[in-house]
Amino acid sequence: MIKVKNLQKKFGDLEVLKGIDEHIRQGEVVVVIGPSGSGKSTFLRCLNLLETATGGEIYVDDEQINAPKVNVNRIRQKMGMVFQQFNLFPHLTIMENITLAPTLLKKMNKEEAVEKGRQLLARVNLSEKADAYPAQLSGGQKQRVAIARALAMDPEIMLFDEPTSALDPEMVGEVLDVMKDLAKSGMTMVIVTHEMGFAREVASRVLFMDQGIVMESGTPEEVFGNPRNERTRNFLSKVL
Amino acid sequence: MAAWWSEVCDMFYLCFVREDRYKLLVSGIGVTIKVSLLAVVLGIIIGMLIALCNLSKNRFLRTLGGIYTDIIRGTPSVTQLMIIYFVIFASVHWPKWIIAAIAFGINSGAYVSEIIRAGILSIDKGQTEAGRSLGLNAYQTMTRIVIPQAVKNIFPALCNEFIVLIKETAIVGYVGLMDIQKAGDFIKSATFQAFMPLIGTAVIYYVLIKILTLVLKRVENRLRRSDIR
Repeated sequence: MIKVKNLQKKFGDLEVLKGIDEHIRQGEVVVVIGPSGSGKSTFLRCLNLLETATGGEIYVDDEQINAPKVNVNRIRQKMGMVFQQFNLFPHLTIMENITLAPTLLKKMNKEEAVEKGRQLLARVNLSEKADAYPAQLSGGQKQRVAIARALAMDPEIMLFDEPTSALDPEMVGEVLDVMKDLAKSGMTMVIVTHEMGFAREVASRVLFMDQGIVMESGTPEEVFGNPRNERTRNFLSKVL
Repeated sequence: MAAWWSEVCDMFYLCFVREDRYKLLVSGIGVTIKVSLLAVVLGIIIGMLIALCNLSKNRFLRTLGGIYTDIIRGTPSVTQLMIIYFVIFASVHWPKWIIAAIAFGINSGAYVSEIIRAGILSIDKGQTEAGRSLGLNAYQTMTRIVIPQAVKNIFPALCNEFIVLIKETAIVGYVGLMDIQKAGDFIKSATFQAFMPLIGTAVIYYVLIKILTLVLKRVENRLRRSDIR
């Protein structure tokens, strides 16, 4: 579904990604772990073109998406993105946050979008908040709305950039639960996170990144239970 | 008490009532309002265009916006008004007040553009990223997500700019328009009284701006509805 070939990204002289080759298949839940500054988030942001790769190729459904004449907006509609800082639109109600993109991009008419919004809010247990504004919600609630908002576009892939890192500890669980349900429903997901327990439970594959490359990749049992790479062992001994 | 009070009444009568002098001020209010309103509208339009130039990726447009702002901010508005009236529009026979409003609109546009630019930059980059990640294009993200939030942030600064603009129009006398200031000045010359006409002028400006401030305050409160926690 997503193929990445020799992906590189430089910020000036700083080489953040030094050649990543990865193949993410339909229905996979890929969890990316690694120390800060290892390039995890940059990798994720390159996938939906929020960052422009400085080298290499990215294919989604066999179409190269980092080629010059590609319609970026059409590609992004296939990929939902959830941010660490939620990034809800503060001037719109929760329902408007969810229905904005589907109606504006003519995917649905207003009624369909609102109906879809109700279903999604029910799915993330926030039906009663449809008419509230983001400022009235807790962090965990905001992040669940952000997930619902991304799902409203019926994406084929969901990208999560440290979705629980900005949350108070007691709110982490409610967001992870929503993500678990999503994984069970068969959604293809790429998740950058520091929640190792979650990675172990939900991931179909774990990538350990450090210094701009994928150091180790395997099932959670392999990576957590029997890490082959010295750096992976070192990292896991610090966080587990 | 009676002595100075009757003197004040005499002065008031002389300055505002005799020879229907109040009519000068009333028509002056009309001129000030006409010029200010048109200038505000032009200022917003020009300001938005220049702000977009300054924020554009195109280097030519950025340079153009920079030069505009630089020249307008670097010269007095009286000079600009006179250049536009006596040089640029010298052979164009439009009503004086329209030409004056164009001059103030051009002047105000430079300041408004900086306010708008700052307002757009004040919106967190994550908002743009969230919009784009949903598949909205740059224009849709700007008009549906960034600008509505920026408007709320820049509203107080914009109000301030309009108030400054209204007072700035007090120089239209230089091109022969009879606004509030000029009317007061005219009465001063005609009556050889300084106190009453000038204080009267000040009071009229003050009341006009007070009314405007109250109206704008109500608009701002409506804009802040989504901040309720």
